[in-house]
Amino acid sequence: MPREQKQVRELQEGSYVMMEDSPCKINAYSTAKPGKHGSAKARIEGKGVFDDKKRSLSQPVDAKVWVPIIQRKQGQVVSVSGNDAQVMDLDTYETFTMRVPEDEDFTPDQNIEYLEYEGQRKVVG
Amino acid sequence: MRFPGANADRDEAAYVLTGAPLDATTTFQPGTRFGPERVRKFAATYDDYDRRTDSFFSDLRVHDAGDVPAWDALDEYLDHLTAELRAAVIDDAVPFLLGGEHTVTWAGVRASDPDVLVTVDAHLDLRDAYDGNPLSHACVVRRCLDGYESDESSGGDHPTVDEVVVLGARTGSPEEWERADAPDVTVVAPEDVTDWVREFDGFGGREAYLSIDIDGADPGFAPGTGTMEPFGLSPREIRDAVRAVAPHCVGIDAVEVNDRDDGQAAALAGKLLREAVYSHADAR
Repeated sequence: MPREQKQVRELQEGSYVMMEDSPCKINAYSTAKPGKHGSAKARIEGKGVFDDKKRSLSQPVDAKVWVPIIQRKQGQVVSVSGNDAQVMDLDTYETFTMRVPEDEDFTPDQNIEYLEYEGQRKVVG
Repeated sequence: MRFPGANADRDEAAYVLTGAPLDATTTFQPGTRFGPERVRKFAATYDDYDRRTDSFFSDLRVHDAGDVPAWDALDEYLDHLTAELRAAVIDDAVPFLLGGEHTVTWAGVRASDPDVLVTVDAHLDLRDAYDGNPLSHACVVRRCLDGYESDESSGGDHPTVDEVVVLGARTGSPEEWERADAPDVTVVAPEDVTDWVREFDGFGGREAYLSIDIDGADPGFAPGTGTMEPFGLSPREIRDAVRAVAPHCVGIDAVEVNDRDDGQAAALAGKLLREAVYSHADAR
């Protein structure tokens, strides 16, 4: 599984973290300032990279969390059929089918950039 | 201690109660840092069963998340408190906030992003700054309405409300009354609140946030608050307003309770919060 462990304190807005077994992009990170009691806790808010679902996590800053290693890849559209497109990975020349995002308009030979993690792909707009 | 009857686990909660013992900008009598615990304490005697709604408080899936202890950097604290409250919103629960000074309402509003802010308050809280501080408790309604331009980290891009209704307001500076004259603010004087409630028919499908500043009540009923203002609302008048508005709310708070009385202010705040939960749950 392409992921690594990091301490919560190493996370920052814009980076990725696993929440509820889903890779999420962090859009808010804040830390409570402890007084005499308790350890500093961070509140992390993120959005699923592939499902767009908002999630939230609260952990001590020295806790370990999983960070997904998400690859950013280049592909070329081979053909478009309805809402699906055949896309060729420009590194491996592997061809796969992906759903055309609602706000995108694919045409054959067009180069696209996408994120890939464990067989899930998402076009970078 | 936990708020009496708030027995639900976090993952099954419909309502998440969070204490925010902020006591940074109180201008006359301090003590709001003791508000959350005091409200919990004086709610201990209330019956679980509510006859009007035929429901038990402990069945309504209320979770007490404890307090978010405050620290000096107001900006940072409000950001963190907002994130804590937003976690409840993300999980489809309604955040209930226990103040703390009124400034914490801005975190509640930012977390729940309502269209309308309804406050029960003796004061307009529409100052742009008080003692040079735009995050003073005397400015909270202005922040919710007009935002906070000097926030560099987010470009001042905080959610704001489209409209404010202040129930029971009876004092303010000339500048505040001038801001209140704009069409996006409705001020309902204490003597008119009963009529307002009687005619209230929701906000046309828009979502509201209810903030109960305990000084909206007459200080004879709730002396434990920082800036007492006579000629206020009776507890029953506030209760009826809470019953009417709560079903339309995406977030609710009770603020400005301190420890400078024998528990009257805390008892009223706790009872009003329970009324809000009963009413909100009953309308679901």
